[in-house]
Formats: sequence, structure tokens, C-alpha cells
Amino acid sequence: MDDLLADFLTETNESLADLDLALVKLEQTPDDSETLKLIFRLVHTIKGTCGFLGLSRLERVAHAGESVLVKIRDGALVVTPDIISTVLQGLDRIKAIVTGLATHDGVEPEGDDTALIAALEAAAEGRLSAPSPAAEATQAPAPEPSPEQAIAAAAPEEPAPAASEPAPAKEPAPVAEAPAIKPPPDAAAPEAPAVEAQIGPQTIRVGVEVLEDLMTLVSELVLTRNQLLQLSRSQEDSAFAVPLQRLSHITSDLQEGVMKTRMQPIGNAWNKLPRLVRDLAHEVDKKIELVMHGADTELDRQVLELIKDPLTHMVRNSADHGLESPAERRAAGKSETGRIMLNAYHEGGHIIIEVADDGKGLPIAAIRAKALSRGQASEAELAAMSDEQVARFIFRAGFSTARTVTAVSGRGVGMDVVKTNVERIGGTIDLKSTPGQGTTFFVKIPLTLAIVSALIVQAGGERFAIPQISVIELVRAAGSGSTSDRTESRIERINDTPVLRLRDQLLPLVSLSGLLRLKTSSTDTEAGQCIVVTQIGASLLGIIVDRVFDTEEIVVKPVAPILRHISMFSGNTILGDGSVIMILDPNGIARAQGIAGSDGHIAEGNTKDVVVAQSEQRTAMLLFRAGDRSPKAVPLSLVARLEDIERDRIEFSAGQSVMQYRGRLMPLVPMSGTLDLEKPRQAVLVFNDVDNANGRDRCMGLVVDEILDVVEEHLKVELSGDRPGLLGTAVVDGHATDVIDTAYWLTQATQDWFHTASKHGQRRILIVEDSDFFRNMLVPALSAEGYEVTAAENGVQAMRLRDSGAMFDAVVSDVEMPEMDGLELVRTLRSGGPWVGLPVIALSARAGDEEIATGREAGFTDYVGKFDRGALLASLHQCLDAALAVAA
Amino acid sequence: MAKTCLVVDDSRVVRKVARRILESHDFIVREAGDGAEALLACQESLPDCVLLDWNMPVMNGLEFLKALRAKFGEKPPVLFCTTETEMSYVEQAIEFGAQEFIMKPFDDEILMGKFAQVGLL
Repeated sequence: MDDLLADFLTETNESLADLDLALVKLEQTPDDSETLKLIFRLVHTIKGTCGFLGLSRLERVAHAGESVLVKIRDGALVVTPDIISTVLQGLDRIKAIVTGLATHDGVEPEGDDTALIAALEAAAEGRLSAPSPAAEATQAPAPEPSPEQAIAAAAPEEPAPAASEPAPAKEPAPVAEAPAIKPPPDAAAPEAPAVEAQIGPQTIRVGVEVLEDLMTLVSELVLTRNQLLQLSRSQEDSAFAVPLQRLSHITSDLQEGVMKTRMQPIGNAWNKLPRLVRDLAHEVDKKIELVMHGADTELDRQVLELIKDPLTHMVRNSADHGLESPAERRAAGKSETGRIMLNAYHEGGHIIIEVADDGKGLPIAAIRAKALSRGQASEAELAAMSDEQVARFIFRAGFSTARTVTAVSGRGVGMDVVKTNVERIGGTIDLKSTPGQGTTFFVKIPLTLAIVSALIVQAGGERFAIPQISVIELVRAAGSGSTSDRTESRIERINDTPVLRLRDQLLPLVSLSGLLRLKTSSTDTEAGQCIVVTQIGASLLGIIVDRVFDTEEIVVKPVAPILRHISMFSGNTILGDGSVIMILDPNGIARAQGIAGSDGHIAEGNTKDVVVAQSEQRTAMLLFRAGDRSPKAVPLSLVARLEDIERDRIEFSAGQSVMQYRGRLMPLVPMSGTLDLEKPRQAVLVFNDVDNANGRDRCMGLVVDEILDVVEEHLKVELSGDRPGLLGTAVVDGHATDVIDTAYWLTQATQDWFHTASKHGQRRILIVEDSDFFRNMLVPALSAEGYEVTAAENGVQAMRLRDSGAMFDAVVSDVEMPEMDGLELVRTLRSGGPWVGLPVIALSARAGDEEIATGREAGFTDYVGKFDRGALLASLHQCLDAALAVAA
Repeated sequence: MAKTCLVVDDSRVVRKVARRILESHDFIVREAGDGAEALLACQESLPDCVLLDWNMPVMNGLEFLKALRAKFGEKPPVLFCTTETEMSYVEQAIEFGAQEFIMKPFDDEILMGKFAQVGLL
């Protein structure tokens, strides 16, 4: 709030208190000229000052009041109770407006003062017929925002200075009538407090500290109540049982009541948004409509304060980045006016706030490119990610994809800050983006921070509380030794890493006692363990605990400073039995365990560090055994799923082993060449080849002997082309390990099973790409299309192929490569030699206009984004057809 | 050298508004909450000009003006603030030696316009 306004409010409130007293005094002693002077001066000052702040409504009322007082002072009017009543009503109105000012951040509440002013004028003219002007509308000090407020804030046609624009119109709020005051004519010496009582306000202003103190006391009371209940449980037939029950109920009611005093409608946090959106619309030249639903949804004022800024930022983002310009919208067949929708509602002790726009959706390709260039993910990881996962990169530190930094957003404070703030209050944030249709952010936050519902668990003999908000479900899991096939969920171990198979999904698991290095008694076996499935951003994490107790309302106490650096704890609390236990923060646990989730990873450091980190990027490799004793490896990101199937599920069709998998037939390829049908179960690596552009979704199961482990390694594959099915050898976990060629096995299955016709007459393609994984992704894609694919690691290798006399129909080349990069390669090719006329398609993660221009200049035939498999196929098709046409 | 202006008004808000405007024009601003305070301030050191409210507790603007002129003569120039309801006092103020009158509420333009008229800028 402007400090000038703050001064005005303090000053005016002081004056108003003095005025009440003075007016009552004047009524008793109408001839007291000192009192009259004081009253006149106070009203005059209020009037004089509000002119400086542009408070016209207040000024008019004060002016009308002043004119009555002038008449009295000049002796033209004799003081009567009726006149005093009328002036007091004027003062009440002034009070109401001043109160409104305080709650509206300096904007005068709306209301009609005509009747009051008329009454004051009549009084001044000495013709007071004592009408009661109190019946007219006065805005309540804190108006309830109507549940649905739609404010169209289109950019005005003519540029008008924003400062001179009035605040956006609010819908008239529910009316609070100023109670009529008619002091009894013969009222003998009514004391000032009596007048206060007569004014009888429906609301009183209470200091925030008072409410905070009350809350603290109630919290303590709840704890004590819990302790008492715990004690009484151990003593049956206690005489205390009944009164205790009553105490318990009253405590609950009291807790609820105190909580209610802290509740405010979320509309209070939205108040400024219509104006903000209106100004933004003007600034960025868009037409924006802001629709708000559920503005009366209440939540704790502390939470409200904390969510205000994140919400404002999200709305700003939607207006600035989400929505398109009117022209773009027209072109996309949408109405010119973009819409931002805010929706708030309660859901099981939490409040969900949605911020939705009907704009263009998130630029997934740009986000991929940015994530890659910032070193936040490797090409292989990105290639394996769904669009939804990629979209969540915007929650990472320093991630802004806006092409230009505008004044509106993109000031370095991004969605990562929003996410941090939401998580700080125990909330979660997620998003959904549909290209061309818009983006919706979902924020889930607790109603209050003081008392939360939590699940009490035990691990290693210690109890812990896990906030209910992050608990998705509880699973009692069977150990890997269990023979029961009926068990839906099992803990499996891939070497030392426990994972939970839950409804066909593999979940990372962390043992709480292991993580906190608590002693576990030897009797604790996996078989009897409970798993608390928690939500970490958008992904799930299973926390293994020994026992699960009840849920309990716990009072959150901040962690002592000495423990504050341990991010696994978000606070502590006192249980009913008096024991102090720690409250776990699942986000912190995920971080401590290094389970980044799809968006929990925090990128740090400057760009330089990031580049270094990228070159040392570790890759998760799945180790398994098939055929012989030596371990084999495959990048985990290429494996869609690990399955352990029963022998009975394997069927044979046309000499090919297949199984029914997710409602269709999946070809099974035994890595060792033959299926060992003696084994009751078979370990299968499921590979999924999804190509949305071509509507293709195939899967293949590679049958192996045994799954060994998942390890992280800096992967350096020594290529060896002579062993079919193997890409080469790499040192994994200290041993020379064969890395399998996924492309080979995919084509094995696809050629045998799908009988892919060679549509292209075996056109030969050379892929020049330094990333093993990316090559590994591209080769099967192109082979599956029927091309004969050869791969080279860099420009130098490609040149060697040319010089050794190899011939291709087209070259697909990465741009950024060591030794000889794509630009250099294409320049060399174009300078002469047998490949001078070949189509050369550039692949790049950075397909900016500038790069494309440089690329074309260097001699590239076409430029395709690295992750756009569909575009690459289309481009190849086009280039090869064109080449044919030229040849013909 | 920067000029000093004594702002005399019982409203903190008005003093603050005046201070902001004046300081933006490089005046050194001193404040007084009523006529008596203002007189003390003048005895301490005489300002280059006075921006004077009329309706104040303890000693009002006219009383202060009278005392000021009696004690210090024609200097410093006084700009008398008023609202439309008290125009009758303007005549009195000019009579007592105020240089100009300024209608409340004032803003930068109004205030500086008057200051220019009396040669303070």
C-alpha cells in the first residue's frame, strides 16, 4: 500500500475517534465553541486531505458534513440532536468508506451517498425533516466477491494513459446497511462507548497477532487434548471419560472456530487480477477475458498470502505467453478474445486452483531444445520423454522459453519460483498443455498450514508423520520371495535397487529406515512391509515403512534451526502420547535419494558447469544376461518396461513366438535364438516404437535369461560392426559388457512379424551422428521404413566412407559433432566429389531461423528438428523423390 | 544553493505530498504541525519560503502569519493554502502579508506554478 494512503488511514482513523467523542460532547454542551472548532477542523482536514488522494466519494461526504458544521460555527444553525444524528451518520459513512479503503488497497468502495448528502444539506439549510438516510446502500467494508466475476478487459481501441483509467468495475457487492441511529432526544449524558454500541458494527477489526496467538493456543490445546485422550484409552471405566469426550468436542469446535476467523475467500487474492489483466492486455495488445469461478472458496489467510504472488505470476504468464495475438487467434479459427480462467474449489481438505488459458499451448519443441542446450537432459533422455514430461521442464530453475524477454514476464523469475513457493506451503503443481487449445496449471494446496492431517508411520522403531496431501495410497507389498502370483504389487529388486511393481508400473522405492540409517530389527522382512506411495511433483515414489498407524491431526512446528538444513523433514509435531516426531517431506526424500522424478531435478550452476556436466553425463544402463554368461547392457531409456511373464502366456503364431500384451499381440524375440520352454517364467524387455506422426505404435519383447541390475555409467561404446545384434562393447560396472543394438532386434521382430514391405526399394541412407543413443534411435526408425541404413560417428568417418567408394541416396547429418561438424561436412561434400549432388538433411536440436539460414547456405538440402521423426521421414521422402525426378 | 521551504499543516498526508513535490524541485523541506511549531522553526532559522495551511490546532495559519510578519517583516514569502469553503480567509491572509494563495488539493503543476509566480523558482 502506498505509504501516503497508510498515513491518511492512520490520521483519519485518529480524527474519527476524536470526532465521535467531540460530537457527543457538543450535543451536551452546544455552546462549547472549542469543541465546535475541533470538530470543524477535524472534518475539514479529512476533506482537505482526501482531495490529495483523489478520494472523491469521501470528499463529497466530508464536504456535506463540513457545510453543516460551518453553519453551526457561524451561529446560523442551532445544535439539535437530529442535526448531530445526521452528522454522525455522515461520520459513519466516512468510517465505512475509510475501512473499505484499507481493505481495497486504496480504492474507494462503491456506494450511493445521495440521500445522505441531501440530508446533510437539508440540515445545513435548517430544514431537517429527519429522514433516515441510513437505508441507502453502503458498501460493506470487506465485500464478498461474487462467485462468478467476469471482467472483459480488452485492449482499448484508443491509447489511453493507464494511470487515468478507473479501476475495473466491480459488481455491486452485497449491501451492508449502516444501522440507523436515532439517539433518544432526552438522552442524558450518553457515554462515548454507548454510542459505539448503538452504531453496533457487524464486524470488528482484530489485529492479526491476536488471531495468530489464538491459533497457537488452540494448537496447544489440541495437543493436550490428544494427550488426554491417549491416557484415557488405557484406563477403562474412567470417571474422566465423559467430560473428556465433551472437552474433545469443544476443542474441535474451538479449533474449527478459530480456523474460521483466519479463513478468507480466495477472491481476496484475485482482486487485483482483473486490473492486472486489463493493463496487460493493453500492454501486449491482446484481447483478454478473465473469468473467475469459486472466488468465495475460503482458505487460511497465511496460505492466501503465500499463494497470491505465484497466482499473479501464472496469470501474467498466461496472458503474456499462453494467449496469442488477436491476429494469430483469428488465423487459428478462434475468437479474437483470449480467455484466462481461474477456478478454485475444495477437494478433501485441500484447495485446488486452476489457471487455464485457451491459447496456443506450450512450445514443446522449443522446450526440448532448451532443455538440451541447458544440459538438463541428454538427447536420449529427451527422446524417451513424453510431451507431458517435457512440458514440466518449465518448472526447472531458470527456464524461460519466451523468445524475447518482455516487460511482462520472462524476467528470470519463472515457473520454478512458482513451483518452489507452492511446494513451500506443502502444495503441488502440475500442468496440462494441448497444442492449439491452451494450457492449464493445477495448484493443490492445503487449506491451512497450522494443523494438517498426517499419516503416522513407523520405521526402525521411530515414528514419523507424512502429510496426507502427498500420500496417494498405501500398499502392502509382498516380497520378491513370495510365490503368490495373485499379489497385485510386489517389491522387486534389480540388484540392490528395490522397485515396486504396482499395476504394471515400476515405482522407485526408498526404505525410510535405510535412508535415515535407522537400525532395523532382523525380524523386519520385506514381506510384511508397507509402502506409502507419495506424489513427488508429477511422479510417484514409494516409501517403505515398517508399520502404518492412523491418520492424525497434527500441529506443525517448525524444525529447529540446527536441523533445518536437512530437507527430508518439513517440521515436527507432538503426538497424543507426548512424543515428539518428525514430519517427513517426500520432496526432500526424493531429492536425498537422488530420485529426480520427471521434474524434481534441480539444475544448478552457470552454463559452463552445465556443459561440463553434459559431457560427463551418466546414462542409466540395464544389465542382463542372455545366451552366454557375459552381461549385456541396453540404455534403460530405450526400454519401455520390464516384464516377468509366465510360460503359459507365450503363444506361437506362424513360427513366431508372441504373447498377448495390453490387448494386442506382441512378438517375442529370444535373444539367445531359442526359447527355453523349460523355464516357468521368462524375463522380457519390452521395447516400444511409438511414432505419433505416422500413427504407429509397435512393441516387441526381447526375451533374456535374467535381469541383473541398473547402473549409471559414462557410456563409451567401442563400435564393432561384425557381431549382429550387438552395437559394441562398453565398460559397465567395471566389466567389458556387450551393448545390444536395439535397432537390430526391433527389425528382427518387425521384419518377421510385421512383414514391412520395402517401400523405398532399399534406398541407402547414411546417418552421421555422434550420439550413440540418438543413432540408436534413428537407425531402427529408418530401417523400419525400409531404408538401408549406415551410420557414421562424425564427418571424418563419413568422408572416409565416401573416399572408400561407398554410395548412398541421401545423407542425414547432425550439425554439432566433434572432429568435423555437419556444416563442415556439407561444405566439403558440396565442394566436389561423388556425393556432390546428394540430398543432405541436417538434424539439429536448435532449429532457429538463423541456424536454418546458415545451414542452407552451407549446402544442406533441408533442416529438421532432432526429435521430429515424422518430419525427417517426410523430408527424406521429398528429397529422394526430387532426386529421382532430376535423374529421370 | 537549494532553497528551504517550511511546510505548515496539521495533516501528515498533506505535508508528505508537499514534501515530495518540493524535494523533487530541489527544495530543502522542513515541517511544522501547527502555527506555534512553525513559529519556533522560524526562530531557529528563517526559511526561504513558507507553505501555510489555515485551519490548524493550537495556532491557526492567520495567527501564525500575523506573528511572523510582526517578528520578521516582509521576508519570507508565504503561500497560503485554502479550500473553496474558506475563500473569505484569503482576503485576510493577503492583508496580513501572504504573497499567494493555493487551492487544495494541489499537485506539482499547481504548486510550482504559484512558486514561479512569486519568484521562488
